[in-house]
Amino acid sequence: MAYRLGVDVGGTFTDLLLVHDESGAMYRVKTPSTPADPSEGVLVGVRRICAESSVAPGDLAHVQHGTTVATNAMLEAKGARVGLITTQGFKQILHLARSQTPGPLAGWIIMQKPDPPAALEDTREARERMSAQGEAIESVDRDQVQEIVRDLVESGVETLTVSLINSYANAEHEREIRGLIHGAYPDFPVTISSDVLPEFREYERTLTACLNSYVRPRVEAYVRHLDSSLKESGVAGELNLLRSDAGLMTTDVASENPIYGILSGPAGGVAGALHVASRAGFDNILTFDMGGTSTDVALCENGQVTIERQTEVPYGWGLPGEVIPIKVPSVNVRSVGAGGGSIAHVPEVTGALRVGPQSAGADPGPACYGKGGVEPTVTDANVIVGHLPPQLLGGEMPLDIEAARTAVKKIGDALGLDVEQAAEGILDIVNENMAGALRLVSVQRGYDPRDFALVAFGGAGPMHANAVAKVMGSFPVLVPPAPGLLCATGDLVADFRGEFARTFIRTIDRTTGDELRTILDGLGEEAREWLKGEGIPESSQRVAFNVDMRYYRQGYEIPVDIDPALLAGNGTAMLADRFNQLHEQFYRFRMDETTCEIVNLRAIGYGDVPKPRLLEVEETAGQDSAHAVVDEHEVYFGGEWLPTKIYDRSALQPGNRVEGPAVITEFDSTTVVLAGYAAEVDRYLNLIINPALG
Amino acid sequence: MDGVKVAEIPDIKVDPVTLDIIEGALKSARFEMDATLFRTAMSPVIREQHDEFPMITDPQGRMVVGQFGSYIGEMLQTIDEPIVEGDVILTSDPYKCGGAISHINDWLVCLPIFWEEELIGWASMFGHQMDAGGPLPGSLPTGAKTVFGEGLRIPPVKLFRKGEPNRDVFDLILNNVRQPEMNRADLMGIVAGCRTGEKRVHELCGRFGKGTYLAACQALLDRTYNAMAKLILAAIPEEPQSFEDWVDDDGLGHGPYKMKLTIWREGEHAYFDWSGTDPQAMGPVNFYLSEAMFKMFIGVYLIMVFDPQILFNDGFYPLLHIVIPDGSLLHPKFPSALGCRTHALTRLFDILGGALARKSPEHTTAAGYGTSPYMLYSGWDRGGEFYYLMEISYGGIPGRPIGDGMDGHSWWPLFQNIPTEYLEAYYPVRIDGYTTIEDSGGAGFHRGGNGIEKRYVYLEPGEVSIHDDRWLTYPWGILGGMPGSRSEKILVRTDGTRERLPSKCDEVQVQPGDMLVYRTAGGGGWKDPLDRPVEQVEADVAKGLVSEDKAYEDYGVVVGDREATERHREHLRTKRGEVKDFDLGPELDDILHRAKEETGLEPPRAPEPLPWAPMESPEDAMRRVREVGDRQMTQTE
Repeated sequence: MAYRLGVDVGGTFTDLLLVHDESGAMYRVKTPSTPADPSEGVLVGVRRICAESSVAPGDLAHVQHGTTVATNAMLEAKGARVGLITTQGFKQILHLARSQTPGPLAGWIIMQKPDPPAALEDTREARERMSAQGEAIESVDRDQVQEIVRDLVESGVETLTVSLINSYANAEHEREIRGLIHGAYPDFPVTISSDVLPEFREYERTLTACLNSYVRPRVEAYVRHLDSSLKESGVAGELNLLRSDAGLMTTDVASENPIYGILSGPAGGVAGALHVASRAGFDNILTFDMGGTSTDVALCENGQVTIERQTEVPYGWGLPGEVIPIKVPSVNVRSVGAGGGSIAHVPEVTGALRVGPQSAGADPGPACYGKGGVEPTVTDANVIVGHLPPQLLGGEMPLDIEAARTAVKKIGDALGLDVEQAAEGILDIVNENMAGALRLVSVQRGYDPRDFALVAFGGAGPMHANAVAKVMGSFPVLVPPAPGLLCATGDLVADFRGEFARTFIRTIDRTTGDELRTILDGLGEEAREWLKGEGIPESSQRVAFNVDMRYYRQGYEIPVDIDPALLAGNGTAMLADRFNQLHEQFYRFRMDETTCEIVNLRAIGYGDVPKPRLLEVEETAGQDSAHAVVDEHEVYFGGEWLPTKIYDRSALQPGNRVEGPAVITEFDSTTVVLAGYAAEVDRYLNLIINPALG
Repeated sequence: MDGVKVAEIPDIKVDPVTLDIIEGALKSARFEMDATLFRTAMSPVIREQHDEFPMITDPQGRMVVGQFGSYIGEMLQTIDEPIVEGDVILTSDPYKCGGAISHINDWLVCLPIFWEEELIGWASMFGHQMDAGGPLPGSLPTGAKTVFGEGLRIPPVKLFRKGEPNRDVFDLILNNVRQPEMNRADLMGIVAGCRTGEKRVHELCGRFGKGTYLAACQALLDRTYNAMAKLILAAIPEEPQSFEDWVDDDGLGHGPYKMKLTIWREGEHAYFDWSGTDPQAMGPVNFYLSEAMFKMFIGVYLIMVFDPQILFNDGFYPLLHIVIPDGSLLHPKFPSALGCRTHALTRLFDILGGALARKSPEHTTAAGYGTSPYMLYSGWDRGGEFYYLMEISYGGIPGRPIGDGMDGHSWWPLFQNIPTEYLEAYYPVRIDGYTTIEDSGGAGFHRGGNGIEKRYVYLEPGEVSIHDDRWLTYPWGILGGMPGSRSEKILVRTDGTRERLPSKCDEVQVQPGDMLVYRTAGGGGWKDPLDRPVEQVEADVAKGLVSEDKAYEDYGVVVGDREATERHREHLRTKRGEVKDFDLGPELDDILHRAKEETGLEPPRAPEPLPWAPMESPEDAMRRVREVGDRQMTQTE
């Protein structure tokens, strides 16, 4: 009997989902998270779910886990002290940070520059030089390098990064220096940039490699500890972790290259949302995960997550809105600093209404939490207009409406609006900010948001989804049951994923289809070897290929998916054609006469794992949903108070229909259905919100 | 604009929330215009360095979002056919758009936005072309004496008619540049950026209705008007205040050129008077300053501290009055050379900050590296292929109220450096080192940023051009802060000989193995360095940003010895006395006298007025502004 366990550790709860590979039988457990050592909460959950399902730990063949340990290390600025070794002459590479200051003009006056992940004091230059063509111009001065390594290690750095100019073209010098470090300090953690990101642009590569070092000790300790604790609890199967691109990686990879999992948490949410939506019949979705301080959105097309080569991650030091670019393959999640805790304010000079990026956070939190918060937040606005009923089902915390009104009144006074209008205004603005993030992943990439369903989750997502969908024209809105479960589902449906890439900068007229095919076949072979090593049976192995392309001398590449077999003969013309098509889709013009350039060739190995079957109910109940009404109150909408029913979600049956305005509450989430819209419950207990017809 | 139905702006009130939503949408449209161009452009100057500026206007051509001035009216003057949907207009002639662009390298595109057959606005964008024809790659010859000696000057022309490319115009233009494929990609990227802006405006009209959209544009213009009226009262004194500073030379050996600004207010109206600025230069350092552009600079500068999220627009322009005498360095007569206007353009901000500092010193910054330093390198490689690189460098950001000036950062918004790996992969050059220069930032309670040292090793025979300034005068410190270091260029030949190169020069012959050491200026310090926390000074020393010597001499810090530090700081305080409001370094006469000895370069000769370009008197310029208002149109030909 083989069981598979998905584990998602959130800020408040740890969710576990257990599935039997053959029968599809499912069990779930929700347990409080333990932020100090998240593995404790996981172990408690494992014991509970085994007890409740009567499954022996020894029958857990696979444990699949999404974690935010790496993300939190960055957010809280609690990473390791990183030593950096650069090429001679480039010590200040992180200090210079590409020289960028923010806009608009004069933006430098108020710029606050975050500290780099490796301090300048902890950076040393190695005597060596590689050319852009990958030829050693100056070999590694081994004595000098041994000296700077000793100097760094003895000064107390906890990890080392080696990032040398042109190592994307030839990694030999980086490897040699790693060898020297390990010769002197055998177990010292070393990251070399060509391992993490074998692509050109030295600043981005160095930064990504240093961030890898920065989060590494904390992730490694966590992963090793969790792994051994699971083994001690009798769990027989392998622990695997979710990557930022929603693939799985082993604990060894996660420990060495934790940066690949920097978006592990959000990636699980996106993968879970996609799985749930696909089952419900929606293959094109926008995901909308709104939490307390930020909102993550992503686009999935044709039942596939969209993978990008670069992502942005919030980077600590209490600077709201600061993000740092990290070049690792990632689900195309965009994050905006807009959430339930975002603070509204009206600058005196302009009299405009602004929401965020400052956030009340969890402490003191929104004014209505009664924990001393006085600033008006999005959550306060939701309480005032009645989207968040004061007595939440299962909610232990009563909400202080008066405190919310006092806070929001400040905004109303500044704008000449009454409290309700000000609250509605705050919600309109924050919804617009989130729509802005959705535009980034849709319209800006050439997609029409009206072709996509919006899948809402996270603490506040279902409350705002209807309004945001109205702005975007993205219907239906799909609200899956229990948001935490969604991320654990995402962990469970993930396949193994490993990338094998080679930088190959060549204009298309200077190569042939056969040459490309030979390289790609070689990379594909590496991918299959790796899958074999991971114990994936051949029948479950897949290898996909893509080529990063651009017009000659453009700065940004577009990945073009291809089948290497089609490259034979006149294959490069086919490549150019597909690239031209994509360029036109993304940017609305093409330049057929301009030479195309290849930058990277890549094989991606997938090891498929069995997918859980979701709980499915026959559509037996009728449209009537009166039995689920638990209360009635008023919701402020468009300038007036409308009588509004409050529903208990757990009482709703497939086929039930809820007319807006309505508020549907459940244990960890509240869904708002606006006037003029209606929600129906589908066979999987999703709420499907559409404009009400007639 | 004959035959074009220009939409009326309805007099309806837009509720404050809708207004803020439209504001946010316009702001993201502007960034989307940028993103479209970055991803499609070919030249590193746009793609990697981001030398481009977008804008969206209302039906009357007033900028509702963006960061340069209004000029649509001027641009249309010479187009004698109706403007219709799908048209795209291009120009590169500063003299035919009221100075909206100020050298021929900036290619300015604008396209009309129609909705329900009415003109509801314009989307516009300009980007710096790496080459725009003419005698030298880069089209910025330091020796040019007229605009005809710089390169191709495109009058306002229709690049597209009704959506169809005007192939004759494309062919004519691209036949005159050195790397036509690059210009084509950059130009198409700019057009694509404008179309992105157009698309977003269409969406807003579809969503809120044309009337609401247009009324919102008006309300956003009003919002900045009202905000600026308050700021003028707070920041501008009634008593006139002056500040002056220098552009070091004109590339032909004349200089330094004085720029002088006097500001005052009358009620909520503010006057910015450039009288006292030197006459125009013979060389290409003239800056054809658009009044509208200057108003935008002032607005940005004033408002940044108070509501950085505001949408910049033209709304406040009627509150500002700009006096620039004709024939001065800042309003040269046609056909003066303009290519290297970047020095005066940047100095303008130093001076603006200095003049405003008189009223609210706590809110202003010191002077920075003070220009856009360029390095250009071109030639034919051994395979007979033409290569051409242009790179913009950066330097020390001034010490600021909020903290230290950044080391080696860009004064221009969102600009970036070119990755070394990119340079080495595409050009015959190797970078020997790229770092900031220890001690080059002026000492201060908040330190001025360090300048940059970049060492280029050339791998093919070729020619090098340099454009820089602040080699002679110093980036000043403020309120006790000290000046930053000056810039310098040293060419190290393969045999080890070292040559000092002027800060502006062309056609310097280089051979494989020659190394150019390119050093930019530092930023001035902000407030008294003797008050800077000791641990910050020691941290700078540990990082190699400040030497122990400078820590001792300028900050009074004996590294590792708090007691000795206290004694030494006390000694320095007594010796120095009261701090100066502005520390511009030595007197100008001293600087000129010691130039040869200190910089290895001959001091510039005092400029003489050009007989063909007599300068308007300050009185006439003032009378013109009082009587006819700001000059938005300039008759130059």
